[in-house]
Amino acid sequence: MNTLLLLPILAPLAAAAFAATVGWRRLSAFVTVLAAGSVLMTAAALGSQIGSGARYGVGHLLRADALTVTMLIVIGTVGTLATWASVGYINAELAHGHTNQRGANLYGVLVPIFLAAMSLAVLANNIGLMWVAIEATTVATAFLVGHRRTRAALEATWKYVVICSVGIALAFLGTVLLYFASLHAGASSGTALNIDVLLAHASQLDPSVTHLAAGLLLLGYGAKAGLVPFHTWLADAHSQSPAPVSALMSGVLLSVAFSALLRVKSVVDLALGTGFLRAGLLIVGLLTLLIAASLLVVQTDFKRMLAYSSMENMGLVAVAAAAGTKLAIAALLLHVLAHGMGKTLVFLAAGQLQAAHDSTAIRDITGVLARSRLIGGAFVVGLAVLLGLPPFAMFASELSISRALAGAHLEWALGAALLLVVISFAALVRNGSRMLLGPPDPGAPTIAVPRSVAGALVTGVTLSVALGLTAGPLTELFRTAATMLGATP
Amino acid sequence: MSALAVAAAALQVVGVLAGAPLVVGGMRQVRARLEGRAGGGIGQPWRDLRKQLRKQQITPRGTTVVFALAPAVVAGSTLLIAAIVPLIALGSPLESVADLFGVVGLLFLGTVALTLAGIDTGTAFGGMGSSREITIAALVEPTILLAVFALSVPGESANLAAIVSATENHPEQLVSPGSLLAFVALGIVIIAETGRLPVDNPSTHLELTMIHEAMILEYAGPKLALVEWASGMRLTVLLGLVANLFMPWGIAGADPSLLAVLIGLASITAKVVVLAGLLAAGEVFIAKLRLFRVPELLAGSFLLALLAVTASYFLGTPTS
Amino acid sequence: MTQATYTGVLDLAAGAFLLAAVLVVWRRELRALVRMLAWQGAALATIPLTVGIYQADAALIVVGVVVLLLRAVVLPLLLARAVGTEDHERRESTPLVNTTTSLLITAGLTVLAYAVTRPIIALDPSPATRAVPAAFAVILIAVFVMVSRRRALSQAVGFMMLDNGIAATAFLITSGVPLIVELGASLDVLFAVLVLGLLTGQMRRTFGGTDLDQLRELRD
Repeated sequence: MNTLLLLPILAPLAAAAFAATVGWRRLSAFVTVLAAGSVLMTAAALGSQIGSGARYGVGHLLRADALTVTMLIVIGTVGTLATWASVGYINAELAHGHTNQRGANLYGVLVPIFLAAMSLAVLANNIGLMWVAIEATTVATAFLVGHRRTRAALEATWKYVVICSVGIALAFLGTVLLYFASLHAGASSGTALNIDVLLAHASQLDPSVTHLAAGLLLLGYGAKAGLVPFHTWLADAHSQSPAPVSALMSGVLLSVAFSALLRVKSVVDLALGTGFLRAGLLIVGLLTLLIAASLLVVQTDFKRMLAYSSMENMGLVAVAAAAGTKLAIAALLLHVLAHGMGKTLVFLAAGQLQAAHDSTAIRDITGVLARSRLIGGAFVVGLAVLLGLPPFAMFASELSISRALAGAHLEWALGAALLLVVISFAALVRNGSRMLLGPPDPGAPTIAVPRSVAGALVTGVTLSVALGLTAGPLTELFRTAATMLGATP
Repeated sequence: MSALAVAAAALQVVGVLAGAPLVVGGMRQVRARLEGRAGGGIGQPWRDLRKQLRKQQITPRGTTVVFALAPAVVAGSTLLIAAIVPLIALGSPLESVADLFGVVGLLFLGTVALTLAGIDTGTAFGGMGSSREITIAALVEPTILLAVFALSVPGESANLAAIVSATENHPEQLVSPGSLLAFVALGIVIIAETGRLPVDNPSTHLELTMIHEAMILEYAGPKLALVEWASGMRLTVLLGLVANLFMPWGIAGADPSLLAVLIGLASITAKVVVLAGLLAAGEVFIAKLRLFRVPELLAGSFLLALLAVTASYFLGTPTS
Repeated sequence: MTQATYTGVLDLAAGAFLLAAVLVVWRRELRALVRMLAWQGAALATIPLTVGIYQADAALIVVGVVVLLLRAVVLPLLLARAVGTEDHERRESTPLVNTTTSLLITAGLTVLAYAVTRPIIALDPSPATRAVPAAFAVILIAVFVMVSRRRALSQAVGFMMLDNGIAATAFLITSGVPLIVELGASLDVLFAVLVLGLLTGQMRRTFGGTDLDQLRELRD
């Protein structure tokens, strides 16, 4: 059993070790794809075994439950698509001289390490270990963000590392305080940070220390999830990263950080009641929505536009978590999965547009649909997913979140969130149609699509459509996770 | 109240009066020797004072009573401080008023008198010196208050004699963060208050860099002597106060014997001599700070004093 | 070790720890900042060592030695290597907030730290816990240093101070977090500082300096 829990961590690490020995090659790149695929396979295997319970490994350091499985599915799906697309993307970067062999080697090692760190973060039973894993993602992605080594990339990297490290340091302080409270609630020092132990002792945690800890944890993990007030790194980092890394950061990393917040929330809600974190999540969620919507309206850079759309979605997810009902949490998890897939599509497509035009300005890109059916089509599908259009899954999730908010008597929050989502919707549609529709400029370059990127895009489109048509067994999984997180019915 | 206690207090005042010029002279001599000069000898300030006191009294045209009275106010307030702080013995007749607020108030009274006198002359340098002095004083006074307050927390009294005797009985309190921070903070502000390097250069002849000297540029004759004497006394009293706050050993008790008074006199003389020597030796190695860096230094010492208060208030284990 | 000595040493360590942070605010020379950081690391290591000796806890003593090596020697050395050799690179350029104001803000932050930590002290009024405001003050001061300084290296120093403050909090209130978390966290910090050091070098090569005011290309 331990092996199955360790696989999502060890497989990418093995791929990283392999890439470190042989350097960036087709073979090592495909080994990484296999490793990412094995994360998805493990998720499926675990999902069929655990049911509504939880399973522990390595002396209660690791834990697998419905939330873990959900997040592993997100990591596995987006990870597979992104690493698959990496093969063609990096080779094209090499061919155009945007990077050299050393840069490619580094990329080949860091991406699987990044995947392993995210897997560890969702598998950790000890919230201290969870913190270590999430901070490790910052370190692992630092040089991925600065991959191109331009001035702008360097600037983005610096801001990313500094802001995320500070934010996540606050989360560590919160963890320490929670440990302190847990020790005083009678937990033994070795296990006091374990999620099961914390849940068991939650009612005896000192309320005022827990308040302090919860506030710090919300700020800290919020930083990594792109929530206000430490959100400023997000657009810079997402716009400068290589496209597959942008997809991973936007589609997975943000939600992994948010899942850490969900774990914390289940403990804090038991200790303090739901009121405290509900207020906190509503404030940061709505502020994040507000900032994202207002910056989307004035955006002139398409990669930054996609980054702010990620912020918008994380804001919405935070508001859904604030509602905290079973419906809201289940919808939130579906939202996260659908958003991961949609974001992967648009970021991968955007990466090819950037490579073709050597620019990320919206005004430089015209008539994409007429020039490349594949890129244009993938962009359209991705945008449709993100806009929450039927038949895609975010239509269902956004509808459910609205119902849940109304059900939790948060009509005012629902109204505000809806207004901001509609503004973002309009901005995305306007910018998207400007790039996609219409006749192309006469001198527009041809959009080259490497085979692996094409494969990833086609698979991604298929998966998005499939998820939109039926969530299948996933529905049950999300419900189990919501119940386990202590959601009110 | 024994007669000896009163005598000790009187001795204190006389000692400060007589000793202050010698302290100043000693410090100049230490500097001179370290800089490779022969120096004027320890008695030189006394000889200067005698010469000044014999001169004719001259008052600049247009100055008012503020100018005329300031030296007396400075000297008087300083003498009062000398009478109430515990230097030789704890049981001074004025002990009940000898709390830190009184001392800081008296110090500030002297400072304000001099700055007003500087403005009263109506000259450019006088006003400039006054404005600089008051800028410094605005940061110095709260720092002294805070630092002594930090020291008063363990003894649970703001009375100077009580603080000194508490330290004497529990010397281990000196190695607490509160006391150490307060010591550093007090050291810095006393340097500033008495116009020593690196805040002010007492031997400067360049008007543009002056602070204390600029305010008293217009004084001459007996009044100048009084001002110089008072500033020497301030230095002596403050050095003695710091010495007794942090090294109270040797000070005579509240009801002393003759021997105890003599030991008290000898010990405070030794402490002041050592401190003054160290201060003078330190001054050889540092240059004057640019004026706009001075507030940084003082804000730093204010912060240290605040930390001292918080440290001794929150960390301090009540000993009684 | 008696109770009084234990309390005394612990208080001194906390005081020195806070003092180092104040001096970082005060000084402008980058080398001096790194030196202060090393002193702060030593003061930090004193805390687990003292607690370990007092409670006869061998594991904690080992952690203390590791902390001493890492935070007083290795990390400051790494940062010292990142200090530039050119003259204009060795000092903080005019900070956004002048030193006097910075020091007064620091004073305010210290008082704030005492206010914030009251529930912690109320839960467990032991000598070690009573020193926790000093650690919190360092955390707040570190954040202030990070937002008010304009050199890349000053920000890295601020980040390390933030981390020292959190570690001190952990040692003071809970005698440290579980070993695996402690190790993982130390490793993360080590890597983060390595990354910041490397980035400083890249920045110097690309921008010809480490003034963060040059980072203004990306914005909305």
